[in-house]
Amino acid sequence: MAILTDQVKRQVHARFAEQLSGPVQLTLYTRPGTGRLILPTGLGCRTCDDARQLVDDLQEAAPDLISLEVIDVSVQETDVREVPTLTLACPGESPRIRWLGFPAGYEFATVVDAVERVSSGDHGLSAATLEALGTLTEPVDVMVFATPT
Amino acid sequence: MSLANRMSVASPLISARTVEANEFPELSARFGVQGVPRIVVNERGAFVGALPEPQFVDAVLQLAVVKSEA
Repeated sequence: MAILTDQVKRQVHARFAEQLSGPVQLTLYTRPGTGRLILPTGLGCRTCDDARQLVDDLQEAAPDLISLEVIDVSVQETDVREVPTLTLACPGESPRIRWLGFPAGYEFATVVDAVERVSSGDHGLSAATLEALGTLTEPVDVMVFATPT
Repeated sequence: MSLANRMSVASPLISARTVEANEFPELSARFGVQGVPRIVVNERGAFVGALPEPQFVDAVLQLAVVKSEA
């Protein structure tokens, strides 16, 4: 079953054509082909194949500006333990935005938004927020636990 | 849209991770998730609820300061 309908694909394509200005790098950490298997905890990945389809659709919506790397954690050594994990960054930079789990429903909208914002560099935050962020001297890790709906 | 992601775009010192709570019950249990959105800062302090930008930023930065002073 398709993850995105043809109508949504067209909408994403139109948005990206209008909003994207710079390149972005998507990286999907996955354990493919285990979604239908019954495996011990931590070995299977129910949503990895869906996540792969989703990022393929995203990349195809703006193939000139979106690069996609897919890393199979079962064959490639990585620090990423949770799959699927999707990271987003400007090419050459360490990713600071990531999603753990399949970003369906509302979370898909946050992925589209983040692709656009990383591409354009437009964070859309207020001057007061920027001033507050300017006081930071050490890294801050923000985890947002969410559900798809 | 996600304020944490936007803060990350604005500041190289901020990293944002969105966790699908149902897919990772061990992570959710570890960070005491009983309602969403639950925001966990530096894997220590936390608050629940979708807040407007000023309150969200204040809450994150207060928790970050507490962590760095601890």
